[in-house]
Amino acid sequence: MAAKIQWRTEMDEALSLGQKAGKPILLDFFNPN
Amino acid sequence: MDTVTYPESKVVRFIEENFIPLRIPSDSKPHSENFNVKWTPTLITLSPEAQEHHRTVGFLGPEELIPSLLLGLGKYHFENDRFDEALARLEQLVDGYAQSGSAPEAIFLCGVCRYKRSHDPKPLKDAYEKLSAVFPDSEWTKRAYPYRLL
Repeated sequence: MAAKIQWRTEMDEALSLGQKAGKPILLDFFNPN
Repeated sequence: MDTVTYPESKVVRFIEENFIPLRIPSDSKPHSENFNVKWTPTLITLSPEAQEHHRTVGFLGPEELIPSLLLGLGKYHFENDRFDEALARLEQLVDGYAQSGSAPEAIFLCGVCRYKRSHDPKPLKDAYEKLSAVFPDSEWTKRAYPYRLL
């Protein structure tokens, strides 16, 4: 099975993970419709 | 993006290695208002302190997304005065994705990073000369135009 991007959905969680990992966040605002 | 770009294995690998990926619906408040999102897809490179460093609006195929993300990483480091790290990302873009839409800005920023490290103006002139030779019609060539006199 092909790998997929493991998108987070909560801003606070992503920022916290970014601080721990020393990585920036790729924030994708997508069309939900 | 979901059908063409994000399923590409090289895109998955690049994003997972270099970013914490976060997806938010464009109608989700307050985030869409805080980031003034008006169209989708809007892709933003954010620092872990929620500082915006790079933004694109509209579809990007795999051959343009990776260099755009490298530009975002370069700007993330550049705007935090980490010029060696910025140069590494920007050179990766210029060397590996030389014809991408992100390449002219990367060439410009490479010149600025090298100047910031050395205070030698020659890299700025070099950047202008490379831009005028390879991307004569780019807005980044116009922005570098004064450096021809250095």
